[in-house]
Amino acid sequence: MHNNHIVEAKELCKYFKTPHGQLHAVDGLSFQIAEHTVLGVVGESGCGKSTLGRMLAGLHEVTSGSLYFEGQDVTNPSRKAKKSLYRRRQMIFQDPSSSLDPRQCVSDLIAEPMNVMKLYKGRRERDARVEELMDIVGLAKRYAFSYPHELDGGRRQRIGIARALACDPKFIVCDEPVSALDVSIQAQILNLLQDLQYEKGLTYMFITHDLSVVKHISDEILVMYLGCEMEHATSIELFEKPLHPYTKGLLSAIPIPSIHTNREEFIMSGEVASPINPNSGCRFASRCIFADEPCYSESPEVIEVLPRHFCACHFAREVNGM
Amino acid sequence: MSDLLEIKDLVIRFDTEDGSVHAVNGIDLHIGSGETLGLVGETGAGKTTTALGILRLVPDSGKICAGSISYKNVDILKMSDKNILDIRGNEISMIFQDPMTALNPVMTISAQVMEVIERHQACTRGEARARMIEILGKVGIRPERVDEYPHQFSGGMKQRVVIAIALACNPKLLLADEPTTALDVTIQAQVMRMINDLKKEFGTSMILITHDLGIVAKSCDSVAIMYAGEIVEFGSLEDIFDRTSHPYTKGLFASMPRLDVETERLMPIAGLMPDPMELPLGCKFHPRCPHRMEICTTDNPQGTEVNYGHLVKCHLHTTKNGDMD
Repeated sequence: MHNNHIVEAKELCKYFKTPHGQLHAVDGLSFQIAEHTVLGVVGESGCGKSTLGRMLAGLHEVTSGSLYFEGQDVTNPSRKAKKSLYRRRQMIFQDPSSSLDPRQCVSDLIAEPMNVMKLYKGRRERDARVEELMDIVGLAKRYAFSYPHELDGGRRQRIGIARALACDPKFIVCDEPVSALDVSIQAQILNLLQDLQYEKGLTYMFITHDLSVVKHISDEILVMYLGCEMEHATSIELFEKPLHPYTKGLLSAIPIPSIHTNREEFIMSGEVASPINPNSGCRFASRCIFADEPCYSESPEVIEVLPRHFCACHFAREVNGM
Repeated sequence: MSDLLEIKDLVIRFDTEDGSVHAVNGIDLHIGSGETLGLVGETGAGKTTTALGILRLVPDSGKICAGSISYKNVDILKMSDKNILDIRGNEISMIFQDPMTALNPVMTISAQVMEVIERHQACTRGEARARMIEILGKVGIRPERVDEYPHQFSGGMKQRVVIAIALACNPKLLLADEPTTALDVTIQAQVMRMINDLKKEFGTSMILITHDLGIVAKSCDSVAIMYAGEIVEFGSLEDIFDRTSHPYTKGLFASMPRLDVETERLMPIAGLMPDPMELPLGCKFHPRCPHRMEICTTDNPQGTEVNYGHLVKCHLHTTKNGDMD
């Protein structure tokens, strides 16, 4: 195993039991995240990106496959190991209004993770550390005794970030941290996350449905559809040379804020199918304009079509004229 | 003027226990037949309140304090309650933001579409049903599904039902309040294309409320940028995208990460949207403005026409032209 891979996933699966059958939320994902980089995970709602993030943060058990963190097998760790892992891997949640306890004030909220991990001795140390964290995430000291409902979405998300940083983790899963925010505030939070990554040498897994955001922040991007990997490449490569028909459709669906773009439009028909008891073929086949016989019967392997550019499509080469 | 709708100096306030919320503060807007106007702004800018004002649906705590909204040269604000009921949902209709809450969960979608048709058109039940099937067909819902309940549809499909309800009586003006915000991008693309096609087919005018300048670039003819209850910039697509003049509009463009332009670091607008209960004196944007001058803190700028039809509410532009008043 490479030393500089902080996270490594092999054939990672997460199934949920439902009354209608087995829900394949994440189905056989393999990837690595190098230290000090950002892996962006994109896909539409229900594609399993949040489930993947929660598994990596240790909030969901793994159904099958294996997961390594800093070279250590963390697939299904013991209770004790789990707790010490939370010091090294953390999560920033999507909705800052529902992920914060409404009855705790800002200073209590930020101190809570340190309290659980017993990271301070005495009130003075605790307050100093809370103050330091508030300063890092750009929350003015006067908010220390405010409650979440008194603050706007941007400030609440800053509390979420401070909580994630409280234990000095190495790796943070950011689950749609800016999608609930307005653009001008979103830009402030994105800049903050980028600064923190740089200053503290953090590694992020950045989950979002917004391709403009993911392009801006990520080094590598993983495109998911119904629990499966569709394409995985560096950010630059993926946007310059998308190979998978799904990625192409996704890119073309994003409205560009300029009146001078003459893009070829390619609107995908249909909707995301159900992840419960999925068919054996390619998950995207029912919406794909290139789908042919093998797509409906055989699930495509992830292949390295170009150097460090992976794509799971039976016709990856044909579709791209290679 | 041949404008279908003309709003003049509209002021809407909400009175609460803690004081009044100044949601809409003297806006002027006009929209011609068949045109699409984009109303852009962040949360709390007063976009939805403006749309509700046009339909006289502002909630009870709110009050339309001043101004006029003339639709086909009749002031909506002076109409009798009976007349407004005949216009609402018939001549002017609204597509609501969240399809999950806009539909009644215990009524089939066919009943919800027919309700509008039967209220506004003199027709038999059979005719209303035929019309319902026709309009739901236009938004891509097959006849065999019309008697199902909202929970049996996906989010994108529910939004199609909401659109069908809005279009059921061939309205002259459509108020679309963030019609695709709750949807995934690929579904958003489908729904936006459908709205634009139907709009063309019926010759409907539309006010499209959104915070996404990408959608505006694709679907609108003119754009109004709203900030703290005021329209700070108004103009054609070219005016707003190529001759951006107001510091707030410029800030919006600089805050967005983009697919078509490489940006190392975003340039967010400093600070936050002001509390609509305590709006700053002078220009509402001055506490966040990088070009703030002395006068901005005391005087609210008047709209200045920097180009034909391109209005900007900013002292930078009033002083340049030397016509301060």
